[in-house]
Amino acid sequence: MKKTVIILGFISAIIALILSVTPLYNLTILPLVIAFILGLVLFFISKKDLSKPKAIQYIFLLVIISLSLTIYKNVFNTPEVGNVEQLEQRDEENLEDSKEILEDIEIDEEF
Amino acid sequence: MKHYLFVIFILFTVKYHAQNTTIAAGEKLVFSASYNMSGLLTNIAEVKMETSEVKTSKSTLLRLKCSATTYKKWDDFFKIRDLYESYVNPKTLTPYLYKRDISEGGYYKFMQYKYSHKDKLIRSLKRKKNKDGKTWEENKIVKIGASSKDIISTLYAIRNLDIHKASPGDQQEFTILFDNKETTLIVKYINKETIDTKIGRKACYKLAVSLKGSDLLKGNNSNLIWLTADKNKVPVYAKFKIPVGSGELKISSATGLKN
Repeated sequence: MKKTVIILGFISAIIALILSVTPLYNLTILPLVIAFILGLVLFFISKKDLSKPKAIQYIFLLVIISLSLTIYKNVFNTPEVGNVEQLEQRDEENLEDSKEILEDIEIDEEF
Repeated sequence: MKHYLFVIFILFTVKYHAQNTTIAAGEKLVFSASYNMSGLLTNIAEVKMETSEVKTSKSTLLRLKCSATTYKKWDDFFKIRDLYESYVNPKTLTPYLYKRDISEGGYYKFMQYKYSHKDKLIRSLKRKKNKDGKTWEENKIVKIGASSKDIISTLYAIRNLDIHKASPGDQQEFTILFDNKETTLIVKYINKETIDTKIGRKACYKLAVSLKGSDLLKGNNSNLIWLTADKNKVPVYAKFKIPVGSGELKISSATGLKN
């Protein structure tokens, strides 16, 4: 039981940490909550056993790091548009091409 | 005589309704699109709606341009650089040329419709890229209905509707041409609502949008658009539900408005 909780706790804490450093940081919440709950479960189990496994500290450390990263990114990251040079070029090309096509068109007031 | 007068009145009102009173050249609307990810909305792209005047030797047209660009952080995962444009009559918003130039995560497609309203047809051109990077073209002549429009000019036509005359529950159908096929878009006026936006607190017309016989935009008031209840009818907020999730479109800025 204890081993399973440690393994699952570590897996979810590591997933949370990995997600928090990627642009998918909003998805961190779910593994973060799971890791936190498993950390607490481990804490109570070890309290009963009167043992002090290091795993609790590591799980909570990973949870704190990923939570801090997620909060930091949510607060300070302003969305920024990437390179639009190619789009602007396509835009200009399309406009020039459209002008040529539209040269033959005469606006009909009926439509 | 009475009947003739009635017909003249109807024709006059139809003609009057068709006049563009909302959209001017030089308008620029910027939106932020977000997608629902594990219950949290994440900003994914910037959407721009711009209008400009295009002059040819014979006439002046209004260019309606919509572009979508993913934010920098998403470019490595799924880069979107989409461009939609429609060249319309500035007075009636009738389209003459439509172009869709999309690049989505390595997928490229170009569609062009050249309208011939008198013959009720379009000359369509499709350009796509093969797996080995070579482009191929397909030319088609497609028969269309008298009121068929592309998606961009329809979007602007919705803004040009006399919503102030409508009562909750009223709906209007638009025939949209997408991928050489005609689809019916139903726009239903729900009610008036005041919402907070980045351009201030606005009284808005709440509209429900659905596609007839399609799974993409289902008709149970789950796709909503809020247009400001003024003469500009600026789309300030939109909520949509698609088979792969849900999202929102929020206005960031609006400049160059007509009224």
